[in-house]
This record gives sequence, C-alpha cells and structure tokens, in this order.
Amino acid sequence: MLESLAISLVDAVPVLSGVPLWTITLLIMVVVAAVVLTFALTYAGLATYVERKVAGDIQARIGPNRVGPVGILQFLADGIKLLLKEDIIPAKADRFLFVLAPYLVFIGSFAAFVVVPFGVGLIASDLNIGIYYVMAITSLVVVGVLVAGWASNNKWALLGGMRAAAQIVSYEIPVGMALLPAVLIAGSLSLQDIVRSQGGLFGIFGWNLFHNPFTFFSFFLYYVAALAETNRTPFDIPEAESELVAGYHVEYTGIRFAFFFLAEYGDMFVVSSLATACFLGGWHVPFLNAEALPAVWGNLFSLGVFLGKALGLVVVMMWVRWTLPRLRVDQLMRMSWKYLVPLTFFNLLGVSLWLLLFQGRGIPQMIASLFG
Amino acid sequence: MKARGEALPTQEMLINMGPQHPSTHGVLRVILRTDGEVVVNARPDVGYLHRALEKIGERVTYAQFMPFTDRLDYLASMNCNAAWAWAVEKLAGIEVPERAEYIRVIVCELNRISSHLIAFGSFTADMGAFTPFLYAIRERERINDLFEEICGNRLTYNYVRIGGVSADLPDRFLEKTKEFLDYFDPKIPEYNDLISYNKIFVHRLANVAVATPEDAVAYGLTGPNLRGSGVRFDLRRNEPYSVYPKIDFDICVGTGERGTVGDCFDRYMVRINEMRESVKILRQAIAQIPDGPVMAKVPRVFKPPVGEVYFRAENPRGETGIYLISDGTVNPYRLKIRAPSFVTMNIFEKITRGLMIADIVAVIGSFDIILPEIDR
Amino acid sequence: MGFKAYLYDIWEAVATTAKGMRITARYGVDPRETITLQYPEERWEPSERYRGFLHNDIKRCTSCTMCVRVCPVDCISLEAVRGADKKMVLASYDINIGRCMYCGLCVEVCPPKSLVHTGGYEMATVSRGELILHFVPEDAETVKGRVAKQVAEAAAKAEAEKAKAEAEKAKAEAEKPADAPQAPDPSPPPKPPGEEAAPFIQPAAPAFAAGNPETADAAGKKPAKEKEEEPAKAGDEGGEAKE
Repeated sequence: MLESLAISLVDAVPVLSGVPLWTITLLIMVVVAAVVLTFALTYAGLATYVERKVAGDIQARIGPNRVGPVGILQFLADGIKLLLKEDIIPAKADRFLFVLAPYLVFIGSFAAFVVVPFGVGLIASDLNIGIYYVMAITSLVVVGVLVAGWASNNKWALLGGMRAAAQIVSYEIPVGMALLPAVLIAGSLSLQDIVRSQGGLFGIFGWNLFHNPFTFFSFFLYYVAALAETNRTPFDIPEAESELVAGYHVEYTGIRFAFFFLAEYGDMFVVSSLATACFLGGWHVPFLNAEALPAVWGNLFSLGVFLGKALGLVVVMMWVRWTLPRLRVDQLMRMSWKYLVPLTFFNLLGVSLWLLLFQGRGIPQMIASLFG
Repeated sequence: MKARGEALPTQEMLINMGPQHPSTHGVLRVILRTDGEVVVNARPDVGYLHRALEKIGERVTYAQFMPFTDRLDYLASMNCNAAWAWAVEKLAGIEVPERAEYIRVIVCELNRISSHLIAFGSFTADMGAFTPFLYAIRERERINDLFEEICGNRLTYNYVRIGGVSADLPDRFLEKTKEFLDYFDPKIPEYNDLISYNKIFVHRLANVAVATPEDAVAYGLTGPNLRGSGVRFDLRRNEPYSVYPKIDFDICVGTGERGTVGDCFDRYMVRINEMRESVKILRQAIAQIPDGPVMAKVPRVFKPPVGEVYFRAENPRGETGIYLISDGTVNPYRLKIRAPSFVTMNIFEKITRGLMIADIVAVIGSFDIILPEIDR
Repeated sequence: MGFKAYLYDIWEAVATTAKGMRITARYGVDPRETITLQYPEERWEPSERYRGFLHNDIKRCTSCTMCVRVCPVDCISLEAVRGADKKMVLASYDINIGRCMYCGLCVEVCPPKSLVHTGGYEMATVSRGELILHFVPEDAETVKGRVAKQVAEAAAKAEAEKAKAEAEKAKAEAEKPADAPQAPDPSPPPKPPGEEAAPFIQPAAPAFAAGNPETADAAGKKPAKEKEEEPAKAGDEGGEAKE
C-alpha cells in the first residue's frame, strides 16, 4: 500500500522522478511511522489524564484541574517531571538488561499500532496477517517484563516479573481463541478485511457482535482476557502497588518508568481497537456509509467513529479498574485455565458449527433475507 | 507447591516486607521466608514506632497523660481517652455524672464507626479496590466535623477528662448527630453491594487465615478479631461499664457465611456489622441522655489513693487494658497499657503458614492493627 | 466441582461485578457527589471550639505559670519580674507551636482566660525558629531593666517618704502638749506615685492576631507592629481572633 502511495506521490510531484522509488517509499514509511507514534504517545499521555479524571469522578472528588484549562496539560507536566528525575540504576543490577527492558516493553506495545484500522484507507500497513502479527508482537511485552524483573536485582521485582510472565502467557490463549470467530466470519486475518466484512445491513446489524450468540459471548470473553493481557485491575497483580510495591518496575525512575506506563496505556488502546475492529464493526455506523463519502471526509469521519468506539472501550477499562479488587495470582491462573480457555474453546466450536450450518450467515442476515 | 523432584534444587527466599510498605498499616516489618509464592514463615518485627509512652506516663500527672492516650490509637482516640479516664476513676473512686457518661458513650461509638470505616477502607484498598476507601473517608469527614464542633480537633481529641468530659455538648449537636446517622444508614448496604459481596473480594478472603475459636482465645485475641472467630464475647456485655447496661444492642459474631468461621472475611463482616450496631447504640444514647453536670468535683492537685487497678474497655480494635499502680503522688508509679493490636500480632506467625504472599496483606488488613498501639 | 456450581460461579462473578459497576457509574456521572473543597479558593471555616494556634493576651496575663506547669510537652515558657506595684510584669512569653500538641490543657487552666486557641492553622515556615511565637514584643532584658529601674525608683521614693514622715512625726511629738489627747493625723500618707507615673507598658498589637500572623521581618524573632491601639480595640481583635 505504501508503495502505491509512493508511486502516486512521484506522479503528483514531477521533481521527485529522479529519486529511486525505494527511497521515496522509505521516506513515506518513516513519515507514517512518525505520525502513528505521535498519535500513540499523545493518546497515552491524554489517557493518563482521562484515567485520573475518571478515577476522581468515581471517587467523589475532582481529578487534576490546575494545570491547563481543565487540567488537561497535566500529562505534559508529568512528562516533564519524569524527564527531569534522577536516573537511578541499582548498584548490582544487570545494567544492559535493565536499560533494555523498557524498550522491549515499549516496542511490544507500540509496534501493534501499525495494523490498527483507524479508518477507511487509514491503516499504516495492511498486513494480510494482521491479527497474527498483533498477537506475536505483543508477546514481546512478556520478555520485557521478565527482563525488567530480573535485571532489577530486587526480590519484589523478580516476583512481579515472574507473575507477569505467567499471567500474560496464559491469557494469550483465550485472547487468540476469542478473536478467531471474527477471523472465521471474515475469512481473513487482515484487520481491514475484517472491518469491511461487517458492513451493510444498516451499518449496525452487520457487526460481528450480533452475528450469532457465540460471537456475542466472544466479545466479552475477549475483553476480559485482554484486560488480563494488559495487566489492568482486576488482573494487575504484577504491578500491585499495595502488595508488591509496584512489582516489576519498582526500581525504575524517570523516563524509564514512563516507558512502562505509556506502554500499558498503549496496550489498552491496541486491545480496545482490536475489539472494535473485530466485534464492534470498526468504523461502521448506522445509516452512513463512510466509503461512500468523498475521500478526505470519508477518512476523517471513519477515523472519528473508530476512535470513538475504541476510546469508549478504554474508558470502560478504567471504570472496571476503579470498581473491582484484585485477583490473587493463583486465582488468576485458575480463571484463565479453568474458565476462559474452556469457554473460548466452546465458543470457537459453536461459531464453526454455526458457520457450517448456516453457510456463514448471521442472524441479522437471515432475518433480512426473510424480508427480501 | 513442593520442589519438582530431586533434580531441581530450590531455595527459600527471604523477603523483607519492610517498615516502608504501602500495606502494613504503619511501620511494621514482616520477615517472610517463602518457597516461591507460598509463605513458609512470616515473623513480624515491631518496635519502629516506640515512643516510651509508658515511661512518659511516670513523669506527667494523671490529667496531663490524657493527650498521650490520644496518640496511643489515633483512630480511636476518644476510646483510649475514655479508657484512661475510667481506669483512674476506678482507682480513685470518682463518681462520674450520668450526662458525662452518656456523652462519653456517644463519642466513643462515633469514634468506633470512624475507626471501622478506616479499617474497611484501607482493607479494601489493600485488596486493590481503591474506591471504597474514598467513600469511607467521606463518611469519616462528617464524623470529624461533629468532633470538631465538640472539642476542637479532628484527630486527637483530648476531650474526656478524669471525672467527666471537658465541655458540654455544643448547640444542636444531638440533632446534627442524628442527621449524620440518617445519612449513614443507607451507606452500609451500598458498601456491601459495591465490594463486600463482590466475588473477587470474597474469593480473596474466604478460607484465608482461619483462626479457630480455641486459637483465638489461647492467643489473646479480642474485639472484632475474637468475635470473627465465632466467640460471643464483648466487654460491653460481659463486663459492662459506663451506661452500656442501659442500651440494647446485638453482638456481631462471625458465622462463616462465605467460607470457614474465623477467616478474614468473617472478621471483615464483623466490623461492617458492628458499624450498624454502633448506629443503634447512638440512637438510643441520644434519646436517653439526661441533663446535668458534665464534670465531677476532682481536686486540682489530684492524688489518688495508693493502690493498683486494671480496667479494660472495648475499643474498636479489641480490649484496651490500663494497668495502673499509684503511690499516692501526683504522677502514676507505673502504667502499663495492654494494646489489643500488640497481642493480636502473636497469632500472626501461626496463622500465616502456607498462605501466599498476597494473603499476608489480607491478614494484616483483616486484623486491623495499628502500629502506634503496638509499639506505644 | 459440579457443572452447576461452575455455571453459578460465572453467573455470580458477572452479577456482583455489574452491581458494583452500577454504583461507581452513578458516582461517576453525578456531579453532586463531588465533595472536594477547592483550597485555597474555598476554605473550611473552623468551628468555634477549634484548637488552632495559641494566642495570649498579655495585658490580661497575670504570669501565674499555670499554663507552663500543665503543658505535657513543655512548650510554653515565660519570664516575669515583680513590678513596682507589687504585680508581676511579663518580661517574655514564648510558645513553641512546633512542639505544641494542641491538646488545650493550657487554655482550660488559664485563670484570667488570656490564653485562647485561635482558628489559625496555616503557618508554614522555612525554619523551626519561626515556629517559636513571642508574645511580648520587647526584648526580655529591656523589660527587666525597665522594671528594675522602676522598682529602684519606687523604693527610693518610699525611703524618702518614710524619712519625711519620720521627721514630721518627730516634729509633731516635740510640739504637742503633754496631756491633751491628740487626734491622729487624719490625712493618709501620700500614695507612692509609682502607680500612675510608672508607665505600665502599653503593649503594642499582639504578635499573633486572628489566626494568620504577619510574615516575619527577619528569621527568628517576630516583632509585632508598633501600633498605638486602644486596649479595647486590641481586646476586640483578641475576641475576633477566636471566631
């Protein structure tokens, strides 16, 4: 896709025809990556602000409201503060690994933004193994967390790191299997295809959420498993502040700590956008077909719709965080292996049987076909 | 969880749940020896907050020691004040006017509610649900407003005096207390809905750290910890003092409703139910309070007769005992404070065998210990 | 675990979570539930009996030292000297509010009720020395010196008066007839002029007024403003400070 962009750019600006195509493609890649990264970092900063505001509202108090108009510049103040903090590396820590870990976690989280279908034609790279790629790259987070726990030379960090590794790895299975129904219905791993397959039928009944009862459950199972993937309460045992004194990132200060923090919010967005793309119809809205609109408007509109849905799911994650207590580590593992894995297996079986029996049509489609 | 065969040697980890920890309710150090995630031995190490209160008691007068009892258990300050006053009055045979006793009961029960609110709030915060703590603090602020009107301080009250209370109730105090009680009544069902019966919360606490009734009595547990193990013993009923005989209330006992009798959940529910009972006691006390003086005639230079006395009061955390030896002078000869949290720590090692590290936090929270009381 | 128990587990988890989330959602969207007081724009006004910083009205203080003796942490210190009119004059009165534990015992025992709690609670300082409040604006040595001088003057005057009275008495003895009973001298002995002449130091405005002290001019001693106020007005200020 970027190659075609490069070609159209060369066509539009004749001056560039002397430059080899691969250079232009590379430049465009860098620009796109920069745009996505900027969006991701701004989102992560604002997400911390929104989290604190949501927490304040739920807890009968006001969140930040002094820095900037409604306190909206709080994340900038926090960022600057973290940048200026002293960078402490514990004496006996493994220096190289200690420094490497935040980068691994950060990469694992933000590299997944590349395949998020923000809107019609707004996807950094429409890989034809979209979902597979996301699952693979977010596993880098496990490596990063383990390395952080080990390299800190701190027993609490080690405990946190091991718990995190166990947790993330065991919840990858329900996550994968809960996403499979969407893949089966669309017939492709590419996220853009999955979103496209949910069009039609007034723009809302084509969503995979309403396709059949099994995908309905899949959505909730995926959401719960994804909460565990991102180490959010009630599954935040690795970073349980009141028990493990911040777990695997206890020894990190300043901007290194900020990396972990931003990676957590980035993960939240990735997971929410996967849920939106696979189950909530991506950028489809009732009665307005974004693809029918003229080019730029269509892009912007679909971007807005998609962001609205994904950020809504992120806010629901925050809401859940401030309501529920935390699961103990063995209860967490029990929940994954004894509850989520069987349920998602059963779901997958159900979806496969349904698709076989009804030739891939969902309930809304069958109702629509009744009316001709 | 045992080591996997002989081929893989494992080692015990020695972790220091140090004096600085977000969940140890103060400067408590717990030395944990764990096999992976399972605790083999957890030994508490106290003394980081020792301020020699008992020694200070030997050089100040009886009236001057009252502000120090504030700082013994600062969340149940009125209760400690009153315990000291009752102990000295028992020694010297002072007759306290009835209005003063009713006022003492009112402020003690209000303080019991506020102490249990903090116990509830910080316990759920340790468990990971940060919101109920804020709600508890909000309720507690209203109690603090009442206390501010009555004595001027919001935390360490120094309101009770030997022989009565320092000042009569201010204007409209009883109406404001009634308003608070009406406001507080629907809150407890709300907390139960929000967190008490939440499945995750129940699972964290049910069957964790069971203290059998025999163990509880043997190790000297008192107060809600003892009642959480099913033993129906409350000093306000079994050894009544002050005007408690005239007030009708139930004793809340752990029933093992979600696990075994004596687990963390039972102790937690006993505190929630005790708040309800305190509301009942308060309503009756407000209705029954007579008019009259609020201070008995106590000489300026107060010299109680030679002798010794042991008085125990039902504090929110258990039985606070004051053992007082007087030698006839203005200063006590020796005063020893039996702090309920200190005695509760004795059962800690036994009860935490085989638990997971996350459960240690649950145990500390469910016992509702407070460090200034342990270390005095 | 039976199948039914398994399903019930799942159902209970979902149901209790939903119940809890409904409560937090209500708090989240209802703006009336926010109870934060936006300090310093909105201030909590302390109640009447609030035990804030201490304030001693030194015009009323009789230097009885009850407060010093009753304080459990020994945070009050005072120096007083006996003046020419046989009353104690306060040379210095210091309260270390860093040590004070705001228990209120000193206020309770004060006989002339000069020591009171104000409603002040905002006094962040940068050094501990600023936490020692001096209620007598002048230096202790100055006061003691002045009082000593007054006492000496009064003593000298008294001596002079006594000598004069002796001389007159001797003269009257010499002049009076032998047997006529003499009425005793009806005029009372002249009052020593110490009472009006010795200027009882009109204390300037108290060092600590209305809960919020003026900022110190220099670290350490906090000199009060040298205002010539009526005692009634200063008394009003003291009364106002209590509110």
